[in-house]
Amino acid sequence: MFVAEGRAGWLAAEGVIRLPLWVVPPGVDLTPGRTVAVSLPGSGAGGDAPVRVELVYPEVTPAAMAGLAAAVRKACAASLARLKTAEVVDWIDAAVARWLDPDYLPRQWAERLLPLLTGYDAETVRLELKRLLRTFRRKELWRFLDADFANPDVLDAFRPGPAGGWVRALGPRLLVHYLSGNVPGLSVWSLVMGLLVKAGTIAKPASGEPLMAVLFARTLADIRPDLAGALAVVPWRGGDEAVEAPLLAQADAVVAYGSDQAVAAIARRVPPHARFLRYGHRISFAVIGREALAPDRYADTCHRLADDICVYDQQSCMSPQVVFVERGGAVAPAAFAALLAAEMERYQVRRPRGPVAAEEALAIQSFRGAFAFSGAEGTRVFASTDDTAWTVVYHEEPGFAPTPLNRSVHVHACDDVVTAVEAAAPYRPYLQSVGVAIHPARLFPLAERLAELGVSRIAAVGEMTRAMAGWHHDGRPNLADLVRFVDIEPSAERWAERLDADVEWDGA
Amino acid sequence: MRPESQRVVDEVLAYMHRFAGETSLSAVCDEAFDALARRIFAYQFEHNPLYRRYCQARRRTPHTVRRWQDIPPVPIQAFKEGVMSVEPPEEAVAVFMTSGTTRPDRRGRNFHPSLAVWEASMRTGFRRFVLPESAVPGGRMTMFVLSPGDDEMPNSSLAHYFTVAVQTFGRADSRFFFRAGRLDVDAFLDAVAAAHAAAQPVMVLGATFAYAHVVDALRARGVRAVLPPGSLVFDTGGMKGHGRELRREAFHAWMAEWFGVTADRCINMYGMTELSSQLYDQTLCTNGTVRDKTGPAWVRTLILHPDTLVPLPEGETGVIAHYDLANWNAAVAILTEDLGVRTPHGFELIGRIAGSEARGCSAAIDEVLQAARETAGDVRG
Repeated sequence: MFVAEGRAGWLAAEGVIRLPLWVVPPGVDLTPGRTVAVSLPGSGAGGDAPVRVELVYPEVTPAAMAGLAAAVRKACAASLARLKTAEVVDWIDAAVARWLDPDYLPRQWAERLLPLLTGYDAETVRLELKRLLRTFRRKELWRFLDADFANPDVLDAFRPGPAGGWVRALGPRLLVHYLSGNVPGLSVWSLVMGLLVKAGTIAKPASGEPLMAVLFARTLADIRPDLAGALAVVPWRGGDEAVEAPLLAQADAVVAYGSDQAVAAIARRVPPHARFLRYGHRISFAVIGREALAPDRYADTCHRLADDICVYDQQSCMSPQVVFVERGGAVAPAAFAALLAAEMERYQVRRPRGPVAAEEALAIQSFRGAFAFSGAEGTRVFASTDDTAWTVVYHEEPGFAPTPLNRSVHVHACDDVVTAVEAAAPYRPYLQSVGVAIHPARLFPLAERLAELGVSRIAAVGEMTRAMAGWHHDGRPNLADLVRFVDIEPSAERWAERLDADVEWDGA
Repeated sequence: MRPESQRVVDEVLAYMHRFAGETSLSAVCDEAFDALARRIFAYQFEHNPLYRRYCQARRRTPHTVRRWQDIPPVPIQAFKEGVMSVEPPEEAVAVFMTSGTTRPDRRGRNFHPSLAVWEASMRTGFRRFVLPESAVPGGRMTMFVLSPGDDEMPNSSLAHYFTVAVQTFGRADSRFFFRAGRLDVDAFLDAVAAAHAAAQPVMVLGATFAYAHVVDALRARGVRAVLPPGSLVFDTGGMKGHGRELRREAFHAWMAEWFGVTADRCINMYGMTELSSQLYDQTLCTNGTVRDKTGPAWVRTLILHPDTLVPLPEGETGVIAHYDLANWNAAVAILTEDLGVRTPHGFELIGRIAGSEARGCSAAIDEVLQAARETAGDVRG
């Protein structure tokens, strides 16, 4: 059972645990402000009583933010920026190793608190959190580095460039993250990308998931107190321009996740000299070839697809909203839609969807209503009987439209998946991941089509929501986009040679 | 119209006649309402195959529906995507369409094979809630309408509403000020001044945003349009979708400031193209004591849990569903996209639900649909 850590910040008193939701460098002080109380049910064994956890938010003033930004910049220059990349990798790997231990206390906290904070099924959180963290083992971190840099040593020193001369890559002294909370733990992804390029980091967690970034940053700070000054996680009220102005003024780079409107609002305040990376709305879909509908395959295909749709209640941008199912397999597309519906019902029994807002539930009611009454030939709506837990809308023809999420999906029958995916063309700016289940001979023709459509990631059905290390997030290099390259051109090198008094003068 | 439709129409008209003085809250009509609602449900179940399938998927049939509350309400999206009509739609004498501000190519349609029930419902409700004898002795008033009549907008249920209101309850000097596609504010102000000079009480009627245009004009000119004593203000629709938020209190403050009309002389109507009856606040029939909304005796309103569609107890916010016997041809039960809360005197409207707000980085449907239209070169302002 839980015991509060005896360290500052994990104060236990009379069965109440206070958990500050911020991590700041030594020497920076934030005043505790409002608290949000969460009641953790007891384990039931040994007479454990429920534990009251108070999540404490800081008061963040413009002056405090200015001081914090300056402190992180300074600490980064003095410590993190001077590290070798291999040491940074060791540091992150050590933190991840702790998190991959099921007995690690903060992991247990996360596994118990995140379902309460986000509404997601506890088993899903437990499973997906460790799967995600495995993406950041040492070997995977090197994969990220090697994916983006022909020679990752450029992050440590000038190295010979491919076109002559020498190249060096420098991370930002101050990188500001606006994190999203739709998938618990994705915040870790963003933090790790920054640290790999030795960026001084200030991260603002999402209001819906304020926990993971703080817990992970604490682990990092525990492991290397000498580097702790370069990393801060602070929740402040989004859009508070007075607080953000002194921060953004000192930022070299800003990364923002969220809706197009939210990201655009941040973009307006980022000063022109700072680099701005945005990760906005995306739509993903799945492609089921007739090969995956063979008598011995279709059940597995269906199971994997339901997993992609249902995990984290379809809130990930990698979750499919549309499925193209090819005719000519052992199972007809309409029958496959019915099987998928049954699979989603079983999933609901196993891992119930989290609570949804009135707006979300109503959107699903409207979605069902729209297609139940469309009168289109062959269109069918499969839906959970008593609530909005899951919805499958089957169409006889190819098509493409987003759904209200929360486990709702379109299934389109088609004669040939390679041509049917053309239906996604109007959504080009938003297309992201495609889950495929198709014969190897058709994989590349399909991939070429998808690439032309604007898709940036192709994964197996069943793996859609688990991007691999080194993934080009939304088609861009994760790390290379964060750094500034410095080139020593060959002329400088040659000229320097000439200025060596000992060099033989050829009279040219 | 098939003979059975005519029989349903006759039954609805008889019900209206019988309970003309009652409201949605009157218990005296409970039994009759339940019987007729289930009768109409069975009729729609039989003649609308899409509705039948929708109900069957929810295991609701005329045999399993034992009380009107069990009738599955039709989401209003159905009126956009499909044809909700028991009678052949091409034989309709009127087709009312939603404004389609968000998606002009997807307008909800309500087909009326006859307007007899619609107009009887409108007139009876109007007399009951807008022109009660206590508030308007004599029952007719000079009406100044700021919104189009049905000659301007033949497919608008609201336009037809105003036209029938003026025909039935308006004095001969009643006028429409929205002509040829625009609101003639000058003519309206002149008419108000003349009525004031003659001490002739008027009823001003219009969509809420029409008042916003008038108030903008008054503000720009720095003048008021004080209505004569005994006047009434009628508005409907709210400001959602017109780029501004306007709370009820703010509307009342406008009326007091610019028209000299107090809140107890303002009445708000709540109507929908997808229905065949309207609901009202009870300001005028209760001397300003009850603002909660209710309808005539042939309408019942439920507040449902948005996820399960189970009726919620008083005080809890949910989605509004209306059961309207006058909607005999389309759907007796409608699931709106409005949030409301049940009160001892009816219900309170909390607001319209915006598009699905996704929790994370995945696409919010409205935003993406907009993007898709722009990509298709179909940008609308």
